[in-house]
Order: sequence, then structure tokens, then C-alpha cells
Amino acid sequence: MSGTEYTASDLFVERFPDQARIVRIAFTNAFVALGVGALFGVLQALHRTEILRIVESPTYYTILTGHGVFLVISFTIFFLVGLYQWAVTDSLGRRPVDMRVTWTWLGLMSVGTLIAAIAILAGFLDDPPDVLGSELSADVLFTFYAPLQAHPLFYVGLVLFVVGTWLAGFDWFRSWWAWKSDNPGERIPLPTFMVLTTMIMWYISSIGVATAILAFILPWSLGITESLNPTLTRTLFWYFGHPVVYFWLLPAYLLWYIVLPHLSGGRLFSDPLARVVFILFILLSTPVGIHHQYLDPGISEGFKFIVMTNTMFLLLPSLLTAFTVVASMEHGARQRGGEGTFGWLTALPWRDPAFTGMALAGLVFAFGGFTGIVNAGMNINYLVHNALWVPGHIHTQVGTAVALTFMAGTYWLLPQLTGNRLVGRSVALFQVVLWFVGIIFMTNSMYRGGLIGMPRRTAEPQYAFDYEIGVGSVTELDVQLALGGTLLFISTLLFLAIVLLTLFNNDSEPIVDGTIPPALSGPEDSPRILDDLRVWVAIALVLVIFAYAFPLANIVSRGGLFGPDISPFPVVTDLASHPVTVDAVLTLQHGVATATALIT
Amino acid sequence: MTDGNVTREIDHDEYDPVGTLALIVLYFVILLLMWGFTYFIEFLGNDPTPMLLA
Repeated sequence: MSGTEYTASDLFVERFPDQARIVRIAFTNAFVALGVGALFGVLQALHRTEILRIVESPTYYTILTGHGVFLVISFTIFFLVGLYQWAVTDSLGRRPVDMRVTWTWLGLMSVGTLIAAIAILAGFLDDPPDVLGSELSADVLFTFYAPLQAHPLFYVGLVLFVVGTWLAGFDWFRSWWAWKSDNPGERIPLPTFMVLTTMIMWYISSIGVATAILAFILPWSLGITESLNPTLTRTLFWYFGHPVVYFWLLPAYLLWYIVLPHLSGGRLFSDPLARVVFILFILLSTPVGIHHQYLDPGISEGFKFIVMTNTMFLLLPSLLTAFTVVASMEHGARQRGGEGTFGWLTALPWRDPAFTGMALAGLVFAFGGFTGIVNAGMNINYLVHNALWVPGHIHTQVGTAVALTFMAGTYWLLPQLTGNRLVGRSVALFQVVLWFVGIIFMTNSMYRGGLIGMPRRTAEPQYAFDYEIGVGSVTELDVQLALGGTLLFISTLLFLAIVLLTLFNNDSEPIVDGTIPPALSGPEDSPRILDDLRVWVAIALVLVIFAYAFPLANIVSRGGLFGPDISPFPVVTDLASHPVTVDAVLTLQHGVATATALIT
Repeated sequence: MTDGNVTREIDHDEYDPVGTLALIVLYFVILLLMWGFTYFIEFLGNDPTPMLLA
């Protein structure tokens, strides 16, 4: 593994100043998105629980869309490209072949985000302007499939962003090809291996959403086509919609495998196991998306059952990771004098915010694994599918395992990227623990609320329902949700403040050890075929064809490529011809978006 | 950030991750208990699905 030849004084910013700049810009974009997304998050928590309402309920969907898109697209993926730029450059020890390509993908991603953000934020205007012949709006949530329709600019922004990520992957592959020709016969350094395998998974999976947008949703939004086949576009969305979860998660895995063992005072337990895990994600992450559609009509139960089986296989890389990462931490603890079956846990560096943040993130991830199994099971999924349980799950996994790891990783990386000492190390420790406490409150409320049938994606969860609750009360759940959301928001503000102050803390020497020790069991212990990426791509494609050819053919044969008829979408209700009840008014007030979102 | 504080080097052959094994066993026990809890709440605690919805 690379890095061993550098001493602590050889900071990344000193070795690769231009690359450090790229990473800093990508991280800046990520953290701006994090700040806005977190603000929208706390507004939702307070609105849903009726503690503080500063917008009207229909505007809640603008906030909900912004929260989703800014956090799970902008924050996570900008952080990913920054981290991966660091990982490739550091582990190969070389700059990109052509920096113009690097600036191009960073520019495309930034412009794409800006365009999509304008379309989303226009939802706050009382009278949004007409652009390209239609009103600027994008209240379509992160799950932006039909029948919800956004302004074309929203989709254009997303396309530019995704094309930017594709180009970034090409940039990293190019660096690797150049390195390979200089180092024939060498094993791919583990961080670069992780980057390349993640990008292969991303290429295979993001083609689904690209097809959905470019072939169907964008032409429909522009008025070029009159209709589309909603089941087809939903299926194409979820073809991407589950693997994208691993696109968020794998940078966190990279930090757990590469940095966490070092922070623990030890070495990665097994380099070959880490490679196997990333290959398993290439193979298994894509043929599972239909498990998000267990409740969708138009897809046979048989296909759903096959996908459930595929999904359960995905537990394997997660469990392998749990073993390898914890074993690496234990190695560090025992090297630091830890003893006993559990006593070694006390020898870990719990005062280090980077370590503690990542360790707590891993702990939350382990718990989220259980709720993920519930989501993946066809029968139990029916109980929780449209309930608050599901946001509970995503907040333990992406909202903590990923987000908290990214924050903790930033505390380790930032001094190396800026040459500045981290400001407020004890505040940073408080910040990661505060996040952990906040997520416990919030997700406890969400999981329990979900089990008693509280819906997700609505501003008015209590409207016209009485929930039968076994323990506690709905008020207690609301208070927990609002408290958790507020703590998470405060934690985000602390994180952003520490990052900002560190950026300007340029009259200090950083205290950071950037060296990555080699694995206990190194790449020489793994079969060479693990590095033959063509083999894994070929197998992955075969699995994708097996999983998707029949369901897609089935959907198209029944609904047509462009749908039998778009008339149900958007739903139009003629108020004048119906007796107006309070229920009807409220449903309409929240718009068609609410009603349709609730059935997704 | 971390000071390392390594007091003894442990190489591959002398390292036996028994603590990891203990934690994983503990995790699986928790999973089993949660499955049991889910079964109790969702199946034993509820009546069969009604044949007719009024």
C-alpha cells in the first residue's frame, strides 16, 4: 500500500498542491450542500411535528426535495469525488494524465448542481418565472420518477452532474492505465482498486437513470413526447436507485478499510478480503433494484422474489466488512496494550474525533443492517414500505454510516489538504458524539413511528389518523424526532464551523500522521484474478441481464415504451363537480405531489 | 491526529481476533432477539388478516 514511503511531514498538499486544490473545491461543494440540506432537514423535523412551521405545507415538498437532492446527490457524491481524487493520487503517487479532464468533470458536476438547485429552490417563490416555456419547479423528491414532473432544467442539471461523475471515473482509470504502464506486473494499490471498482459499479448502474431521463422523462418534461410508461421509468430509476446507495457507502468503506485501522494504531487485517468485498459490490449491487418495487403493480411476484434473494446476498460484503474492519481495530487496540475479550475496546483512541466518528458510524451501520433486512424481505417490507420506518433506515445508513464517516474522515484529511492544524479537536469529538446521540433519538422515533403506521413523505402525518401505540405516545415520538433533528442540525453547524476555521488556521503546523501502514495480509496473498477487472465486469453484466431482461421486456410488452396512456398523470381533480370536504381540501392543498408520493 | 502509542508489534501469525469474534457473536444474538421481537409484535400480537373489509 502506498503512503509508507512518506513521513508525516510530507503532507499531501505539499506533494500534490494542485490535487489538494481539486479535493478542497470538491469538499467545499459537498459541505455547502450539507449545510443547506441540513437546514432543510431540521425544518422538516419541526414542521412534521408541528413544533415550528415557517413554510406552508405545500412548500414542504420543496424542502423535502432539496433535503434529498442536496444531501444524497450533492453532498455525498462531491465528497466521493474529492476523496477518490485524493485516494488515486496518493496511492498511485502521480497526478492525472491531463488536468484539463479533471477540471472539466469538476466543472460539469458543479454547473449541473447549480442548475438543478435553481430549479428546486424556485419552489420557494410565490410566482416562479417561466423558463423554456414552463414554470420553474422541481418538487419531485429525490425519487424523481413519473408521475411527478419537474421543470426540464432539473433533469438537465442531473444529467450534467452524472456525466461529470462518468468523466471523473475515466480520469481515474486513465491515471491507473498510465501507472500500470510504468509499473508492469504490480498489483493495483488497494485505494485505487476501491476507486476503480466503485466506478465500474457506478457505470453499470447509472446507465439506468440516464436512460430513464434522456429517453423518457426529459422529452416528456419538454413536451416532446406526450406520455411515458411509469412502471418502466420507475424500474429504470430503481435499477440505479439501489446501487447509488453503495455509491454513497463505498467511500465510507474506503475510509474504514484504509484510514480506520491506522487511526486504531494497527494495520488492515486483510487486503484480499477488502478486494473481494468491492468486487462483490460490482456483482451484486445492481440486480436488486426491484426490491424497492415490492408494492408496485405491473411486476410479477416471481421477479420480486428473485430480487429478494439477490438482495439477501448483499449481506455478505457487509458482514465481511464488519469482520475485517473490526479485526483491524482490534489489532490496533492490542498493539496499544489492549487485553481481554472486550477489554481491548478501551484501548482504542476514543479521544480522537476522526476515530470515534468512524467507529460510531460503523456501530450505527450495524444496527441499520437489521432494518435493511426488514426492508429487503418481501413480506415484512409490506408493513413498513410507505412508513416513517424507511426514512429511519436511510438516516441510519446514509445519514450516519456515510455522513458521519465523511465528517470524521474530514478531520483526518483536512490538515493534509490545507497544511493547517485542525481547530477545536475536543469540539470535533463533541460534534461526532452529538451526531450519534441525535441520530439515536431521531431514528428511534422514525422506526417506532413507522411500525405504528406513520407515513413518510408528508407534512401532515397526524392528519385524521389515530395511532395505536404500545409504549409511549405520539407526542413523545414527535418530541424525539424534533430533538434528534435539532441535535443533528447543531452538529452539522459545529462541523462546518470547525472546517471553516481550519481553512483559515494557516499560521499553525498540522499534527497529523498521514502514513498508511501495509495490511497484515497484503495483496500478495490474494489471487491475481481479483485485479482482472474485465472478468468482474463481464460477470456483472450477465447478472444484470438475468435480473432485468425479463421484467423489462414484460413491462414494455404490456405498457409500451411510451406508455399506453398518460391520462392519469398528472391527476386533475375538478373541485367544482365534487362536494368539498375538509379531507379533500387538505389533500388538494398538499397537491398531487403528496398523494402520489405517498403511494410510491 | 493519532499518536499511535504502539506498545508492541503484533504480526499476522500471532494475531488472533477473538474480540472481533465475540462482538460478531453478540451482534448475531441481538439480531436473533430482534427477529423474535418482530415476529412477536407483527404476527403473534395481531389477529389474522380479515376476510372482508367493512
